Amino acid sequence: MKLNPLTIKKILRFRSIRRGYYSLIIFMVMIVVSFFAELLINNRALIVYYQGNYYLPTYGEMIPGKNFGMDYEYEANYRELQKKFELEKNDNWLLLPIVPYGKFETDLKEGEYPPFPPSFERSHYLGTDNAGRDIVARLVYGFRIAIIFSLILLLVNYTIGVSVGIVMGYWGGKFDLFFQRIIEIWSNVPFLYVIIIISSIMVPNFTMLIFIMAIFGWMGMTWTMRTVTYKEKEREYVLAAKALGASNMRILFRHILPNTIAVIITYAPFAVSGGIVALTSLDYLGFGLPPPIPSWGELLQQGWANMDAWWISGSVVIAMLVTLIVVTFIGEAVREAVDPKMHTTYE
Amino acid sequence: MKVFTRSLRFGVIVFLGLFLTAPSYQASAAQELPKDIKWLTNHEDPVFASKKAKKGGVFHASVMSFPMTFRVVGPDSNGSFRSAILSNHLSLIGIHPNTENVIPEIATHWAFDKDKKTMYFKLNKNVRWSDGKPVTSDDFFYALEFMRSKEIVAPWYNDYYTKEIDRVIIYDSHTLAVVATKAQPDLHLRVAITPAPRHFYGKLGKDFVKKYNWKIVPNTGPYQISDFKKGKYVKFKRKKDWWAKDLHYFKNRFNVDKVSYSVVRDHNILWEYFKKGKEDVFAINFPKYWHVKTKTPVVENGYVHKIWFFNDTQQSATGMWLNQDREIFKDWNVRYAFAHAMNIGKVIEKVLRNDYYRLEHGFMGYGRYSNNNLKARRFDLAKVEEYMKASGWKRGADGIWEKEGKRFSVEVTYSFEEHTPRLVVLKEEAKKAGVELRLQKLDSSATFKKILEKKHDIAWMGWSTSLRPQYWEHFHSVNAHKTQTNNITNTDDSEMDRLIDAFRNSLEEEERIKLSLQIQEKIHESGAFVPTFMVPYVRQAYWRWWRLPETPGTKMSGNLFSPFGSATGGLFWYDKDLHGETKDAMKKKKKLKPVTTIDETYKMKN
Repeated sequence: MKLNPLTIKKILRFRSIRRGYYSLIIFMVMIVVSFFAELLINNRALIVYYQGNYYLPTYGEMIPGKNFGMDYEYEANYRELQKKFELEKNDNWLLLPIVPYGKFETDLKEGEYPPFPPSFERSHYLGTDNAGRDIVARLVYGFRIAIIFSLILLLVNYTIGVSVGIVMGYWGGKFDLFFQRIIEIWSNVPFLYVIIIISSIMVPNFTMLIFIMAIFGWMGMTWTMRTVTYKEKEREYVLAAKALGASNMRILFRHILPNTIAVIITYAPFAVSGGIVALTSLDYLGFGLPPPIPSWGELLQQGWANMDAWWISGSVVIAMLVTLIVVTFIGEAVREAVDPKMHTTYE
Repeated sequence: MKVFTRSLRFGVIVFLGLFLTAPSYQASAAQELPKDIKWLTNHEDPVFASKKAKKGGVFHASVMSFPMTFRVVGPDSNGSFRSAILSNHLSLIGIHPNTENVIPEIATHWAFDKDKKTMYFKLNKNVRWSDGKPVTSDDFFYALEFMRSKEIVAPWYNDYYTKEIDRVIIYDSHTLAVVATKAQPDLHLRVAITPAPRHFYGKLGKDFVKKYNWKIVPNTGPYQISDFKKGKYVKFKRKKDWWAKDLHYFKNRFNVDKVSYSVVRDHNILWEYFKKGKEDVFAINFPKYWHVKTKTPVVENGYVHKIWFFNDTQQSATGMWLNQDREIFKDWNVRYAFAHAMNIGKVIEKVLRNDYYRLEHGFMGYGRYSNNNLKARRFDLAKVEEYMKASGWKRGADGIWEKEGKRFSVEVTYSFEEHTPRLVVLKEEAKKAGVELRLQKLDSSATFKKILEKKHDIAWMGWSTSLRPQYWEHFHSVNAHKTQTNNITNTDDSEMDRLIDAFRNSLEEEERIKLSLQIQEKIHESGAFVPTFMVPYVRQAYWRWWRLPETPGTKMSGNLFSPFGSATGGLFWYDKDLHGETKDAMKKKKKLKPVTTIDETYKMKN
């Protein structure tokens, strides 16, 4: 791919801002790890060798316990299976992920009640929540949901927001005026209450939540895009394109949009962290994704309700802090990299 | 729903007692008492107060918010404080909390008419209002007039006292009859009305609601409000020469001199107050309080005692209600399999610290009306397998049962955040049995709406209780397949209808009991209700100078330290010596023996 020299310059500049660059690397690693979380944190074994056959249970359908010589039809409990193999001392073996617990799995003990504190012996590195579910698992799977959620939300919000904003700025006049009023009115609808009302009547699922959030979230981008477009449309290249007979669509999306991209990507990282925070807060209040979907907000809520179980609030607060700081650093670096003035410095 | 079970139950009794008032005037003077009636009384049942009880002391209790009014009818009167006022007002007769027999209150004798809708009463001649005026038959006559009056702005009571109570007949100043509108079983529960003081209210006017907001109405019970400061406190004072203080069932009860309710708006702060001794008793029913929070110096040093008292009262029908209008639950085998797929035992053991008990069926604790032979279906994978296979289902690739493109995946609708850990465990266990539960948490009103509109698969909820089992609303086909009825399982079975109709129409206790047991068996057979938990006890922490009788409470006790209430209240007393001893020990930082009492006198046997 041949990149515009200006773009290359921006990328180089971004790379030269160490803090932001490493943050991006950390963030990408977090995302990649969470996407393959099943291989690291799962109650299914990675690989099972049983009576001469290899099984890879991680992805795919569940394997009933009786296939491995257990006496039940439901999914094999691989932790027990491992113990069994060790006792039997035959050739069978299996390999468990680092954290051998699933995201929904409750690990309860005799005579004690969750939440359980961190224990290396039981492989609950950050302890369990109030239903005996592993916190590492809840955190990582929760992160995956939050990040996917916020990326999709970003895409939807920006598609609508940018399109509307750019059109407002380009056409101006009555269309602009009309949409400005619409947005003003619309942004005065108390978004949180609407969500609360909706989720008390029905449980919003993932798509629904994105849809609701997008309905109230697209306005933010319009103002900026409108202003930028007003400026850009007066430039000569737009005039030139017009003179060549380019259609409005072409001018908007092939000429003006690429020239405003700097503005858009500057905002993007902050929108990502905004999305994560929004989902977390909704879950915290109990209006987000329905249980038992892993979620940071729910963990936060549990941490609040079980103050003495410091590992719950501790884990989730640190995880949030790291994520948000990393995203903010990226955002900062991006902003600086695309800054045409190149004067600002961050130390 | 579940939370208010106990107060509701007492509410029903109390209000039946308290509020029936004067019917129409047609029945005034000159009526002849029938000759063939048999007067009954009851001084034979065991007393439940302690002979050791001493009078004295001030009992400190609290309310979450100051009452909006002292009126017990009309706008804003339905607050929680109303029960404190109502429980200081006796009715014609009461119910013995252990034997459930009728016992005297304002009436010394009573008699039933053959028509099964009239009950006669002879009043105790010593009964006085708190202002010293005698209570006469006319006060009951007036009660009906009062309750039917438009001026009190209480449509529910207007309606109840019109549709349920036909009239009050006065024979002389201390003999009367109360007539219900229809013949019915347990007539005594319906017609045991409370008097209203005509000399106090006189003719009601349009200003009733406003005028009586903060008026202290004369009553017939052991205490009366003596002092209050709006927003801060209400104090009750014991009547020194209460007319009933030496009567068989009231002797040695209502011992404290003063009861002071102060406003404490937060539960956690209340707990702190209690630990400082500003509050005498604290409810520690929640596992967190009983097991964890009470590991605190005042308890460990023995200044505060803990008691776990098992009672034997009507249990809320709490559990999973399967909507039989859903295609999947039309099949008996599937319903049975579902019940066997619910590992309630594990939830009780692993999540609820064995503090809850398995509810065996929907109508436990109704005395002889309960069918104690029924046992809820236990978690059993083999049985799930058997039932599912019998209906031609097969395990799918993910282990969930499948048949003709359908999956055994059902939605559980619930509303309390605290119930999530229970459901999460059930869900994981159900997966083993090949049943997928989808959890849907809505807020309580949305949950209730969804369930009443019969849009649920499974409702996770409990019903409030009443003195006798209510079958018609929950299981009669009249209420099936339509919205806004309590038949949330959509049970539609002609045999069930026949039994329920017979139960409702029967006026013979023995027959009703027999039918009741049959109906419960039928409900169990249908498998549409999976009973979950019951909490057949009360747990409280109290400062050690408060004393309880040898048997600390009664079968019906929901609160061992309830200062008022003719049925179960006022059994405890203040021990001045112990108070001094404790204060002394606290000052000297001396440890006393920690005490945790577990009383199983009335524990239900499973």
